[in-house]
Amino acid sequence: MADTEFLVAHGLRKAFGPFQAVDSVSFTISQREIFGLLGPNGAGKTTVIRMMSTVLKPDDGHISIGGFSVTADSDSVRKLIGVCPQELALYPELSATDNLVFFGRMAGLNGRQARESARENLERVGLQDRARDRVEQFSGGMKRRVNIAIALMSRPQLLFLDEPTVGIDPQSRNHIFETVENLRDEGMTVLYTTHYMEEADRLCDRLAIMDHGSIIGLGTPRELKSEIGNPDRVTLEDVFLEYTGRRLRD
Amino acid sequence: MALVLRQAFLIASKDTRIFFKDRFAMAFAFLFPFIFIVGWSAALSGQGPRDEPLDITLVTQEEEGISLSVIEELSQSVYASVSTRPYDDALAALQDGEIDGFVVFPADFTQKIVSGASTSLGVVVNDDNPDAEAALSGFAQEVAGRFTEAQIAFRAAADLAAQPQGELQAEPPDRTSAEFDSDTAPTVGLVLERVGDVVPFRASNFTLPAYLTMFVFFSAALSAEAIARERQNQTLERLMSNGTRRESIVLGKFIGTAYRSAAQLVVMWLAGILLFDIYLGTAPVAVIAISVLMALASAAFGVLLASFVRSVQAAGSAGVLTSLVLAPIGGCWWPLFIAPQWMQSLAKLTPHGWANGGFNKLMLFGAEAGEVTQELGALVAFAAAFLAIALWRFRTAAQ
Repeated sequence: MADTEFLVAHGLRKAFGPFQAVDSVSFTISQREIFGLLGPNGAGKTTVIRMMSTVLKPDDGHISIGGFSVTADSDSVRKLIGVCPQELALYPELSATDNLVFFGRMAGLNGRQARESARENLERVGLQDRARDRVEQFSGGMKRRVNIAIALMSRPQLLFLDEPTVGIDPQSRNHIFETVENLRDEGMTVLYTTHYMEEADRLCDRLAIMDHGSIIGLGTPRELKSEIGNPDRVTLEDVFLEYTGRRLRD
Repeated sequence: MALVLRQAFLIASKDTRIFFKDRFAMAFAFLFPFIFIVGWSAALSGQGPRDEPLDITLVTQEEEGISLSVIEELSQSVYASVSTRPYDDALAALQDGEIDGFVVFPADFTQKIVSGASTSLGVVVNDDNPDAEAALSGFAQEVAGRFTEAQIAFRAAADLAAQPQGELQAEPPDRTSAEFDSDTAPTVGLVLERVGDVVPFRASNFTLPAYLTMFVFFSAALSAEAIARERQNQTLERLMSNGTRRESIVLGKFIGTAYRSAAQLVVMWLAGILLFDIYLGTAPVAVIAISVLMALASAAFGVLLASFVRSVQAAGSAGVLTSLVLAPIGGCWWPLFIAPQWMQSLAKLTPHGWANGGFNKLMLFGAEAGEVTQELGALVAFAAAFLAIALWRFRTAAQ
């Protein structure tokens, strides 16, 4: 893991009316790091990603990515990032290739570059044989992989993956893990949110646990486990429940 | 600006491809209006005026005189079929239902005319045929009116000529009205003026543009649902984080919807010309211009609607509701010119009303292009206003 800070978030705040969605969030992500953002539903993870991906303006605080301010130089930031949202943000009526080419061209690639990048990324997520099929004919896991491939079209340096493995089979999930690890090995920085603790334990170099809009735990998985017991016996789920409580959430 | 346009056309192209892959959307855009047009054209066929020459039976009870000259001249008309019969034959034909009625020149017609006395033409019809009575009375009044004008002119000329010398610098009269006989009586003709091309009434000349207007706006309104779905599944957000401008999204959605509206227009107009033999009027270019502006206004309307709704369900409901309210107000279900004045005024608040008003003027009343400039201007104004509001809404609602 390199030490260079690629993303710096400081004092982030965001409210929607009276609801304080994000409150004084600060963390950094180093280059080639997989950083996990964990938290129960409504903790503010997605709002943090939306602010970092230039879609939402923070009410307060500062974010820089690759040295560029997200608010002051959003165009430069957009060239560095790829976003894989929680929803399947794609066009089911179009083929996998057409989806990737469209988003690639919208990101500024020309037609030839977009087709080449689409071929590479479909191969990366293991869908090269289904490139011409309509996405609506795909299984849930395959759609999730297309969703990730789209985020890779602009060859980003920082990839946001917002719960990329929700509702898919173990094979597809494992394929996604391998893809993310490969991307990290190739030099990409990843911000990864998930509800699955074993995923975070396997993939993430460092983690932040969020609840009620704030970060309540930050460190490597082992450091976090050490805070509540023997790191070889405590699971990340124990840590999560210790921090966020056992009370049921909506 | 170049980036915005590039992105907008990419979005429009993508939306058009999706549209042509969606069978239901295609059916709604092309099949439904076609069914409506066929149905209503069939239902309304047989209504309205026919392009048939006027059959007029004339009877004169004179052996010779002015009435014979008049009948001979009227026989030359291409707009009326004039026949003559003896009075008893005409009466028998009327009673047998062979003719609807006839006009009678009395036996002393010429004598009364040349002496300046009053006379009258007779109109004989059945009591239960008000249409024939109206048509023949109108004809008789026209003929009588011409003779009255001629009589007044002759009397005035005669009176002037009878004035003592010195009072008026006029030549002494060489003839008086009493001296006119049938040979020297003025020729009196019936002038039928031709106004525009005479076109047979076809219901499809109203139904096609009306239902086309309704369905172009309906399809555009439902495109708001597609935009809301994109907002919900975060493709719009993904595009924005990808470097896509909000202006590009609004413009792209507008252009894409306009493409689809244009496809509807091309298909339905071609079907109208080839299958329904519709008449585009004396200014077909103006019909095309109204069609294009209507497509732009409808596309802007769809984007505007999308900018106000928050969910797919709300977009669907708003699309259906606005379409079903605006279509009848705007004259898509019945011609505006048969509606009361207050409804005609209300229609001007809708782009549908202006589009239908323009189509009706051009295709039913033979208007020239210059007579629909108001309609063209109104459609441009609607499109610009809708688009500006949509852009403002997308900008302000985003944060």
